[in-house]
Amino acid sequence: MGRYVIRRLIQAIPVLLGATLLIFLIVFALPGDPIAAMFGDKRPDAAVAAVLREQYHLNDPLLVQYWYYISGVLFHGDFGVNFSDIPVSEIMAGKFQVTLNLALTALTMEAVIGVGLGLWAALRRGKATDTMILASTLLLISVPTLVTGFVLQLLLGVKLKQWTGLDIFPVAGTFAGLRSYLLPGFVLAGTSIAYLTRLTRTSLAETLRADYIRTATAKGLSRRRVIGRHGLRNALIPLVTFLGADLGNLMGGAVITERIFNLQGIGNQLFTSVYLREQPVVVGIVTALVLIYILANLVVDLLYAVLDPRIRYE
Amino acid sequence: MKSTSTGVLPAEGGLGDHPLLAVEDLHVEFRTRAGVVRAVNGVTYSVGPGETLAVLGESGSGKSVTAQAIMGILDMPPAVIPKGEIRFRGTDLLKLSEEARTQVRGQRIAMIFQDALSALNPVFTVGWQISEMFRVHRGMSKGEAMKKAVELMDRVRIPAAKQRVHDYPHQFSGGMRQRIMIAMSIALDPEVLIADEPTTALDVTVQAQIMELLAELQRESQMGLILITHDLGVVADVADKIAVMYAGRIVEHAPVHDIYRRPAHPYTKGLLESIPRVDLKGQDLYAISGLPPNLLELPTGCSFHPRCPYRQDNCVTDVPPLHTISGTRGSACHYWREVVDGERQ
Repeated sequence: MGRYVIRRLIQAIPVLLGATLLIFLIVFALPGDPIAAMFGDKRPDAAVAAVLREQYHLNDPLLVQYWYYISGVLFHGDFGVNFSDIPVSEIMAGKFQVTLNLALTALTMEAVIGVGLGLWAALRRGKATDTMILASTLLLISVPTLVTGFVLQLLLGVKLKQWTGLDIFPVAGTFAGLRSYLLPGFVLAGTSIAYLTRLTRTSLAETLRADYIRTATAKGLSRRRVIGRHGLRNALIPLVTFLGADLGNLMGGAVITERIFNLQGIGNQLFTSVYLREQPVVVGIVTALVLIYILANLVVDLLYAVLDPRIRYE
Repeated sequence: MKSTSTGVLPAEGGLGDHPLLAVEDLHVEFRTRAGVVRAVNGVTYSVGPGETLAVLGESGSGKSVTAQAIMGILDMPPAVIPKGEIRFRGTDLLKLSEEARTQVRGQRIAMIFQDALSALNPVFTVGWQISEMFRVHRGMSKGEAMKKAVELMDRVRIPAAKQRVHDYPHQFSGGMRQRIMIAMSIALDPEVLIADEPTTALDVTVQAQIMELLAELQRESQMGLILITHDLGVVADVADKIAVMYAGRIVEHAPVHDIYRRPAHPYTKGLLESIPRVDLKGQDLYAISGLPPNLLELPTGCSFHPRCPYRQDNCVTDVPPLHTISGTRGSACHYWREVVDGERQ
């Protein structure tokens, strides 16, 4: 197991390098000049611009620029500075906290609501409850985040307060602490909740048809124990995989949600930085996201072995 | 026979006049979208303490469905039991409440399944699965129950039981897995054990060992054994009596040796003749012509008539009753006399 973890981490290195290089190239290929962007509407002085170009190595070949960057990250843990000389790591730190809070809120909702609804539907298969749950998941999947986000913001964030006087969901920002993450968390988790509901339903229904469930019943166990211990334990395996892989998606996919609810997370920052051609910030954020993806996947794979004894890592 | 109210558990101790387990005129249907599948159409059989009843028949003959009805593990719906009784020590199990049936299931009537790999839960250790019986039904502590599991694994002769109790099902060979299945089923000393094709998935040499083990356990505990199989070879050594099923009916029942010597139903006869025999090496193997019936549309009259070499006109129209041949034998064939005589030639 230890060797497996080490091997997986070593495998992550080329993935990380490839991903950063790709992002580096893409950001470079974006039209527009970062030095010009620094001066906003004004036209920069030619001499000043030349000095700045030299200072940020913008005249060097692309691969050399990449080397300056990645060697700093790898050997000094230094993600560089943006064009205002603010360290990228400093920019990211606070923003990551916000996005992590958001993603974990979303993940928790996903696990509780998705698995809950899925189990309910599976146990009422073919009945009205099942049909209703399936229909609502389809709705959740079909409507884009952009729409659910604004609609829920209006209804629960604005109108609920106007109509009932209850201030439960803040309209935007993170001033209300964890409470401010509830609404954006749900919006972010929306489609995942729907997918997980369906996955749970299928997984449990499939499991309950297995021979060992018949055996468990034949052992004289109560239905609660048959489903709760023998069924659920097996049905859980694919769900954990989905949840683990989804953490990365939630962190990386929060751009729209963070914009709608004005949360100062990395999604929002990524949007701003792409807009400002802040290459180091964009690459830094994406690198960190790739790292989270890789680690989340590793944890999922290890969890898999814990949940399913038939899987062994050598 | 006194009628039983729901929730009353079958008595323990002496049997009185009652057979240990008796199935009477049992009907099971599956109501599907395609129509009503009549899987079991009036099955009657019984088994006593220490007795082995072999239920013989090809796939789809209703032998497993009957067993599942006895255990109460049919999915209802789609399965429906429109008629019949399953009397355990005189109590009709079908009239019991679900809670009362759960008390019988596993503790007093246990079952072994065909494929132990899929019948054991892949994510729990075998020790956990065996000891669950003691934890749930006897309220034992984890440690105590685990000790019991080791004892049981010893009893079904699994080598190094003490270490292997912590292994998972996939880490065992097919024969060992079936032994674990057996250990689990006999954990609470059931009075009746139903073995549904316990050796079908195993190598021939291992088959013999498993059958021997079952026979030995039965001798020790005097449980009634219902052995479901399609393998005539397995049956001869261990069974006391045989019930042959076809299209959801018992077509012949008899003490084991009578059936081998003189089958009284054309289907049984066909089965016996289709066994490869060394002394007939080189000759064509006999096969019963035609296919098993479609349970959605059973043939009129005798279900076996489209495949029967003894068929007469009335076979197509009249359902043959179970004719009594002697006190212990019966055949559901209009022409059982001709069949028995035919064997003599």
